[in-house]
Amino acid sequence: MTAPHSTKISLQSVEKRFTTAQGNEQVALSSVDLEIQAGEFVCLVGPSGCGKTTLINLMAGFEKPSGGTITIDGKPVTGPDPDHIMIFQDYGLYPWRTVLGNVLFGLQARGVSAGEARARALATLELVGLRQAAEKHPHELSGGMKQRVAIARALAVEPSVLFMDEPFAALDAFSRLHLQDELLRLWQEKRPTVIFVTHDLDEAIALGQRVVLMAPAPGRIKRIMEISLPHPRERTRDDFASFRRELFREFHLVHQLALQEAEYSI
Amino acid sequence: MRRFTSILLPTLTFLVLLGIWQGVARLQIYPEHLFPSPLSVALGMVELFRSGELWQYVWVSLLRFGAGYGAAALLALPLGLLFGRCLVLWSAFDPLVQILRPVSPIAWFPLISLWFGIGNLPAIVIIFLAAFYPILLSTVAAVRNVPPLYLKVANNFGASRTKIFRDVIIPAAFPQITVGMHIAIGSAWVFLVAGEMLGVRSGLGYLIIDSRNNLRTDLVIVGIILIGLSGLIIDRIMGIAEGWVKRQWGAA
Repeated sequence: MTAPHSTKISLQSVEKRFTTAQGNEQVALSSVDLEIQAGEFVCLVGPSGCGKTTLINLMAGFEKPSGGTITIDGKPVTGPDPDHIMIFQDYGLYPWRTVLGNVLFGLQARGVSAGEARARALATLELVGLRQAAEKHPHELSGGMKQRVAIARALAVEPSVLFMDEPFAALDAFSRLHLQDELLRLWQEKRPTVIFVTHDLDEAIALGQRVVLMAPAPGRIKRIMEISLPHPRERTRDDFASFRRELFREFHLVHQLALQEAEYSI
Repeated sequence: MRRFTSILLPTLTFLVLLGIWQGVARLQIYPEHLFPSPLSVALGMVELFRSGELWQYVWVSLLRFGAGYGAAALLALPLGLLFGRCLVLWSAFDPLVQILRPVSPIAWFPLISLWFGIGNLPAIVIIFLAAFYPILLSTVAAVRNVPPLYLKVANNFGASRTKIFRDVIIPAAFPQITVGMHIAIGSAWVFLVAGEMLGVRSGLGYLIIDSRNNLRTDLVIVGIILIGLSGLIIDRIMGIAEGWVKRQWGAA
């Protein structure tokens, strides 16, 4: 168990610039500062172009920042790390492997012995409620089940950080709500640090202890909101609605600013 | 209804064709030994079947085809995997392959007969040349088409380069590779006859050449039918294998 209030992920004036095909430089992220505690559940929300996916890719080590520093456990991020697993919207399951085979992949990559890997994979499948689907292939599963397999594959290697890049965006509304609850249950049981990117404001309020609001052009952090509601959160209650109202208001403001800036730049 | 379209309709087509053929033969525009009737072709088929030569011709051709195609696959698959992974290497070899690929294996005939003499080898080399490029190119393309997400996931879990190659790239590319191998079967089988017209004294290609020299046009047509049927059977077997792979990979 990690001690409470120990910094897990730290970003200091992180910048990311891209050169477009026309040779223009584009600022995807400008001077991002963020501290994330160990075991915390943080949601990144914002309209497209706000750099939230870029930000999570930087933290997960899939991209390198153009400036600033990113550290996890005090060590600078230099590349992807099996202790920090990313979960993608498109699942990234291997279609030629069974559900069990997919969950085994990460354990095999870590060199866990065959017997132990199998036991751990089955236990993790049990945890996400897919024990009986172990021998199925991904194409036999619904989208929600596929994402649960991807979550099981990640949890099997017991990562200290879970990065989730719009993991439920491709699912229907019912599966999405179920998986949100499921994720919360797993998070409370295993207590990894979770960074969750979404463009669904309700999802962010239902899940995050903190919600990081981002704005585009250039991508940056606009505001950080504490959601001081205990989990599990009742989505139909008034306190939930008041956070919702505040978040919506905040984003209207963001939109207006974005509009004004667009006018200035013309 | 499905039975009607899949069995009855093709049968009807064959019967109509046989009828026209028989009709034209009856007109005696050409003498019987130049334009054999369906009946004499059928009798020729029976004759070869009775003497046991039929299986021998088919068997020898299949062996040569298997050797040429197998050698092509054995060389083109590893090369394709290597080129697909190492794009620098591929950019070095790609232009060469693009120049050699459109050259019909038949153009190599003179050199092949000079280098490999007579016997089985020239025929095998011709089939090898016909199968090599489609397998190579489809393997390179298959490796390059492996979804980046698969590699991202593997890297995230810290998989070694060997594990990524063996457990991600090869299985991910496999369905598209089988498609290429299926296509290569068709294009290589076409050149079987050409290969067997070059200094061999057995096989389906030889049957055709030999029968023409003996003015046994009925057996020429028997040879054509056997080549078509064997090609169809090989193609169907490969098609079944391809379908199995696709189902297994969940991409059907």
